[in-house]
Amino acid sequence: MGRKPKTDEETVLNRLEAVRTESGISRQELADLVGVHYQTIGYIERGEYSPSLVLALRIAEELKTPVEELFWLEEE
Amino acid sequence: MQESLVIFVVLATLAASYFWIYPKFAGNDVKKMAWLDAGLGFIPMGISALLFWVSNPKFNLIFFETNWFVFTLVVLVILELPLFFWYIKARGLGGEYWAMMGFGPKGSPDAGWASASVKQVEKQLSDTQWDGLRTRGAKTFLVAASNIVILGGTVFLFFVGDNGWSALSLIYILLIFTFWFLLRQSVRLVADAPQEALDERLIRIRDRSYVIAYRYLSLLALLIAISLMVFSIVTDFQPESDGFTYSIPLTWPQVQAIFWLIFAYAGMLPSMAVIGQDLSKKGRK
Repeated sequence: MGRKPKTDEETVLNRLEAVRTESGISRQELADLVGVHYQTIGYIERGEYSPSLVLALRIAEELKTPVEELFWLEEE
Repeated sequence: MQESLVIFVVLATLAASYFWIYPKFAGNDVKKMAWLDAGLGFIPMGISALLFWVSNPKFNLIFFETNWFVFTLVVLVILELPLFFWYIKARGLGGEYWAMMGFGPKGSPDAGWASASVKQVEKQLSDTQWDGLRTRGAKTFLVAASNIVILGGTVFLFFVGDNGWSALSLIYILLIFTFWFLLRQSVRLVADAPQEALDERLIRIRDRSYVIAYRYLSLLALLIAISLMVFSIVTDFQPESDGFTYSIPLTWPQVQAIFWLIFAYAGMLPSMAVIGQDLSKKGRK
């Protein structure tokens, strides 16, 4: 069983923007809390970048939301 | 005999430097050590100059005959390098020394390689002054114009003769540095940043850009190597060829053309690759 080609990999969907807005935290604040550049938060929210497991867990922790409620794989 | 004299002077200078002057006056301060090193290097060079400048005898450098300047410099480098590495290893100064030579912080895997500091990159990441260079159109223009300048300048230098036009090479060099600067601003120094200045997304972009840049640079190296091979094979068929030695008739502008072609692409390809990734991502959307 080989590794899936990059193009066949599932997309990671998220509802980060909604949860972040509900929590009243700006992109910059969340970026500072998890130690990334504020643009990276924007890229994640738009689904243009899939965060590492470590970053996803950090974001979930800061937003006090289970990680699986923030990020999930796109169902075919 | 004169070779032994130069070797003795170099050894004496190095012994005094590494066993007395550096430990006493520089200690673990790598900046002081670098300044002292630059100064002390003048001692053997100066003594050789005093002794051999006028008479200018030939020095035997194993396979070559050379003059006092090259001989002293080569002996100094060969004899100093092991002592230098021993000194910085014994005092644990490796990370600090390489960090000083480049911009990466001490202990960083990019120390000695990064050509932008953490502070510079952090400033650039929130900078809006150069946003005009960060639009899709500006990025496309920058990559296209940089390539046109590099390749156009190379062709120009290859065919320009020994005349007043060759002075235009100075404009070519100036343009190379201008586009290098603009490309760096356009990608917010990401390609040249130490990893401590970047988050995981930017590190991924930077690392990917080096894979892409390496591929293009290896292609360039391959083209130069193939040209050399073709030249030697074609020369073999000339009646005056001995099939073993070759002389490549290069003019000074042609030497410059090769030098600046490699220099420009080595410096600019990583930033071009960052732009390329960005453009292809936006193009897919």
